[in-house]
Amino acid sequence: MTAPNLLKPALYRAEGSVADPDRPALLGGACECGYVFFPLQTYGCERCGRTSLATRALSGTGKLLASARVHLHGGKTRTAPFTIVSVMLDDGPIVRTVLAGDDAVHPGDRMVTMLVPVTNAEGAERLDLRFAPQR
Amino acid sequence: MSKSLKELRPVYVVGIGLHRYQFLSDTTYIDLALTAVRAALADADIEWPTVESAYVGRALLPMACGRPILRHLGATGIPIAHIENASASGSTAFRHACIEVASGMSDVSLALGVDKPMAIARSEGLTGIGNLADDAIAPFTHFALLAHQYATQYGVRHEDIALVAVKNHRNGAKNPFAQHQKERTLDEILGGKKISGTFTSLQCTPVGEGAAAVIVASEDGIKRLGINASRAMRVAASAGRSQKVNIDATRYDAVLTKQTAEVAFQESGISPRALDIVELHDAFTVEEVEYVEAMGICGEGEAISRLKDGEFDIGGRCAVSASGGLISMGHPIGPTGLGQIAEIARQLRGEAGNRQHPGARTGLAHMVGVGAVCYVHILQK
Repeated sequence: MTAPNLLKPALYRAEGSVADPDRPALLGGACECGYVFFPLQTYGCERCGRTSLATRALSGTGKLLASARVHLHGGKTRTAPFTIVSVMLDDGPIVRTVLAGDDAVHPGDRMVTMLVPVTNAEGAERLDLRFAPQR
Repeated sequence: MSKSLKELRPVYVVGIGLHRYQFLSDTTYIDLALTAVRAALADADIEWPTVESAYVGRALLPMACGRPILRHLGATGIPIAHIENASASGSTAFRHACIEVASGMSDVSLALGVDKPMAIARSEGLTGIGNLADDAIAPFTHFALLAHQYATQYGVRHEDIALVAVKNHRNGAKNPFAQHQKERTLDEILGGKKISGTFTSLQCTPVGEGAAAVIVASEDGIKRLGINASRAMRVAASAGRSQKVNIDATRYDAVLTKQTAEVAFQESGISPRALDIVELHDAFTVEEVEYVEAMGICGEGEAISRLKDGEFDIGGRCAVSASGGLISMGHPIGPTGLGQIAEIARQLRGEAGNRQHPGARTGLAHMVGVGAVCYVHILQK
């Protein structure tokens, strides 16, 4: 799949990581001090302030920390209800985004990334990275 | 070598005043603020020209709201500084008024908080750094996730966490300045409009407007102006911190609270277990649970059992959210931290009426703000 099909190509890619080639990877960053973070930013390391930050493809696998079914949403781009999940990636950072699908999830579940068709603000179809329980 | 507030000359809360927190109305921010300031001046029994500076805490009102308010007390030419620190705007205004008096630069300073609900943007959205779905994660969802994590970790039910709202609405029902003044049963709270996760509307702070004013003074100011010293409460500690990189990136509010409170306890020499009154940032029920533990008021995982035992009730070991907290008293933002100081001062003076916690001598005010930032103050009789 080519980058233009992704909703947020600066944040994730269709290709997997070295650790998990089958799951879309998240595009994070790493500092010489050891801090690994998501998403990539090049302003400066939040832990030590160094500016020589490297891209790090984070594996699309992790553990569910918590979930919340959202019933109230004021924005125009989404319609409630939807479920937000908080996932600790195997590579370290904690990320939060929309759950793919309606399966019940529980803290401790293994979660994996997947690309889900969505419509962007201009009405075009794109693929957005979400998390689903690993089956 | 840097000094804490307590190492500078003593500073006291001498005047408090509020405009009731309420749903958005036609009341102008001028009327909201003047009500609070005039009440604080009357409470201190001093005239406006004796106030030497003003710090105005606001987060939503546009630029430069201070002089349009204060000129109607008679423009005296004092320095006016506006302070925005998200939810902690009022707390930060208080800190800086205290610092000015404690430093010796002024004898009397005003910290005023005022706000009206309106839509504004957060600067974090303009950094150019992307996010997966932050537009879908309102504060109530951030805390709903934390509630789920807490409940899972400690094996408590969401109905248990909701008991915070039962207590705080019960307290707020006694507070004439509270936005919500109605006792609610657990069933009413659980049966309310679903917001996010296990939160229903009465477990969340309402959106509203209001104002709160606190006047602080030095001992010289108290003597010179004939202020009643027995009603002047010492500011024993002022601590402010901001978020650092944490091992658990999701619990930054609790981690930051612990770090900030530790600074305040060290400065004052007071132990968390010695507190009589605590006003904290309970915008959502789980926050009260997290923060009483983070501050060491009880042990980790113990908050729910202590709550059920009545330890945090008015009349219990330590009255938490005697004002009704953000859940019931409300959170108009600019005023909130100052409303906490007003409540604590009232309690320490023994003037809280049917909300009075017996024997209150030491109180702590805590606020967190988007950033995240955290401010903790300790007042003592």
